[in-house]
Amino acid sequence: MEYGLKPLGREKLWLWLMLAPTIIGLVFGTIGSLLATLGLSLFDWDLINPPNWAGLSNYVALFQNKDYIEAFVNTLKFSALYVPGVVGISLVLAVLLNRKIRGVGIFRTIYFLPAVTSAVATALVWNMIYGKDTGILNWMLESLGLAPVCWLCTDNAMMSVVIVNVWGAIGEGMIIFLAGLTAIPRDYYEAASLDGASDLQQFFKVTLPLVTPSIFFQTLISAINAFQAYDYIYMLTRRGQGDSSVPVAVYSIYRNAFHFFRMGDASAQAIQLALLVAVFMAIMFWWERRYVVYE
Amino acid sequence: MKKLMFVLIIASLMLTACGGGAKPAAEGPVEITFTMWGAPEELTVWQAVVDDFHKANPNITVKVDVSDWDSYWTKLNTLIAGGTPPDVFAMDAPLFLDWQSRGALLNLQPYIDANPGFLDGFYPQTLTAYKTADGYYGLPRDFQTIVLFYNKDMFDAAGVAYPTADWMYDDLLAAAKQLTLDTNSDGKIEQYGFWSDTWDMELLWSEAIWAYGGDIISADHTKTLIGEGGARDAWKYIDGLYKEGVMPTPSASGVFGGELFQAGMAAMTTIGHWAVPGYIQAGINFNVVPMPSGPAGRATSVNSAGFVVAKNSKHPDAAFEFIKFALSEAGQKRLAELGFAIPVLKPVAESDAYLKQPGSLDQRVFLDSVAFARMKPVFKGYEEWAGVVGDGLIPVFDGEAELDTTIDEVITAADEVLAKNK
Repeated sequence: MEYGLKPLGREKLWLWLMLAPTIIGLVFGTIGSLLATLGLSLFDWDLINPPNWAGLSNYVALFQNKDYIEAFVNTLKFSALYVPGVVGISLVLAVLLNRKIRGVGIFRTIYFLPAVTSAVATALVWNMIYGKDTGILNWMLESLGLAPVCWLCTDNAMMSVVIVNVWGAIGEGMIIFLAGLTAIPRDYYEAASLDGASDLQQFFKVTLPLVTPSIFFQTLISAINAFQAYDYIYMLTRRGQGDSSVPVAVYSIYRNAFHFFRMGDASAQAIQLALLVAVFMAIMFWWERRYVVYE
Repeated sequence: MKKLMFVLIIASLMLTACGGGAKPAAEGPVEITFTMWGAPEELTVWQAVVDDFHKANPNITVKVDVSDWDSYWTKLNTLIAGGTPPDVFAMDAPLFLDWQSRGALLNLQPYIDANPGFLDGFYPQTLTAYKTADGYYGLPRDFQTIVLFYNKDMFDAAGVAYPTADWMYDDLLAAAKQLTLDTNSDGKIEQYGFWSDTWDMELLWSEAIWAYGGDIISADHTKTLIGEGGARDAWKYIDGLYKEGVMPTPSASGVFGGELFQAGMAAMTTIGHWAVPGYIQAGINFNVVPMPSGPAGRATSVNSAGFVVAKNSKHPDAAFEFIKFALSEAGQKRLAELGFAIPVLKPVAESDAYLKQPGSLDQRVFLDSVAFARMKPVFKGYEEWAGVVGDGLIPVFDGEAELDTTIDEVITAADEVLAKNK
């Protein structure tokens, strides 16, 4: 099957010229750096002296590196909480906001706001919300007669960080789902209500199957973001000496590369993370073939 | 992640492109680069130093670049990996060996030998950090000693006598209790008696450990000693400051921007001269006394910022000329105007350029503290070690972990870091 118009003669030249910046960027910026990382992971390099061949020893070392294992497990835990959170909440929000109610534009704007504000600035605000003695959250707890909670101490930090990250991502998720929802023809719902289906039944029998492409897409994007999550986590949990109470994989990669001068270890960690994302994507595409409904 | 990969590829491209080796230093005008960390206002003073230098050496132009602490090290790493290091760059003494041992730095000994008497005016304590078996690979530019700051208004209001040079650590705790106030009786503290940063050893815990008769690290840098002898008593004391409530926990103080003395929320703190301009600007009415004593006597920490030259600098001679000028009396007097640190040249530190700075504090306390100061330890793997130890103990101070077992865990992890960085 072919779509649209085919470029002809001179148009082809222009086509390639226009695409060139993106393609060059992709080849050098993305594929090139991926290859460079793959190469570096086989060497020991301290950024100053010439790299030494290390074979697979950097990969073997990953399994003995307690700090990295902790960071890696944290990334998995974070993703397991973050991805369902983002997909579920933004779907529900989109369904609620996909109707003719007064001020719907204002609500959509409010939910999308985090997506367009600087993560560093909002993380500072969250720091104040989570504050132990002066935070708004604890003030609310105390006025309800409950004991204050140390939101960013070691025990609760993971949950608090997931909440902020989900909050930051539901705006974009909502947009994806709103687009998916508007694509569902009105008559399906009319037919369903004529048959006596309740709102809830309509959601599960009509809406949910027909937004599976959006769910698939949003899950994929959220998972990739989860594995690479860094900015909010860094701002909220970093400690005075550069450590973190929720060290995640990207954090470990950054510290090893630019603070501990272990480029080889950092590259091996980066490759391992990339492999994990690849495996996850493979699972998702298998899932897509089985469950995603395209009209 | 994307950014990281980008840096990597650029770094690898530059590495192949710049493998040509250094050209011989050209006659005639040369331009050298000097990068440092610091506040934007520091750039103005450094530009003045550079202009003075250019007047004296018209053939050499110096390009100064100032970044904040975090970006400075990332930038430096990238420049060095790319084979285009700055000629002269700033060094924090504890990190010196991490850089020197990797062969990044030029040995300055031949230049020092060629300038007899060059090191005469220096405070000797500031030089040791940069000395290696085959000479100096760096030179200090200014230094810091830690002293006790107190807010005079808060002491007056509470009717508590000002701290003195004879204070013991227990006197500090007693006064801090009197100065910790819940002024509006809402069950929350409005004014803390004391606040200090316990992430890093420099501000409180190294001084306390030394004063209680303990030590930080063994002389051969293989063993972490923070759990032995008097060190445990020092930790108990610091933990007590938190448990008594005279000092806000680390997680609580983070909300106030982490500077409670400057915010006018703490009556005392232990910090170095770099804090003075900020305190004056904030309108705090303060003075300083030496650190308190412990059962084993008195101690403070001395640390310096210094100059190093990149090993593959194309203009090492010009680079040293610049360092020499910045460390001359003229250069040091300019730097003293900054008010952030103490000049390394004793004659300048003892002159009006340093002693007659704005503010009514006793500048001499910082100088006199040198007499009982110990050097902030310098060893390989410092940054990783400091992360393990400093950050590892924070859960204790936040009330989430038990002191003694956490110290034991931290020491095990810290010794692993030392073994890895041998």
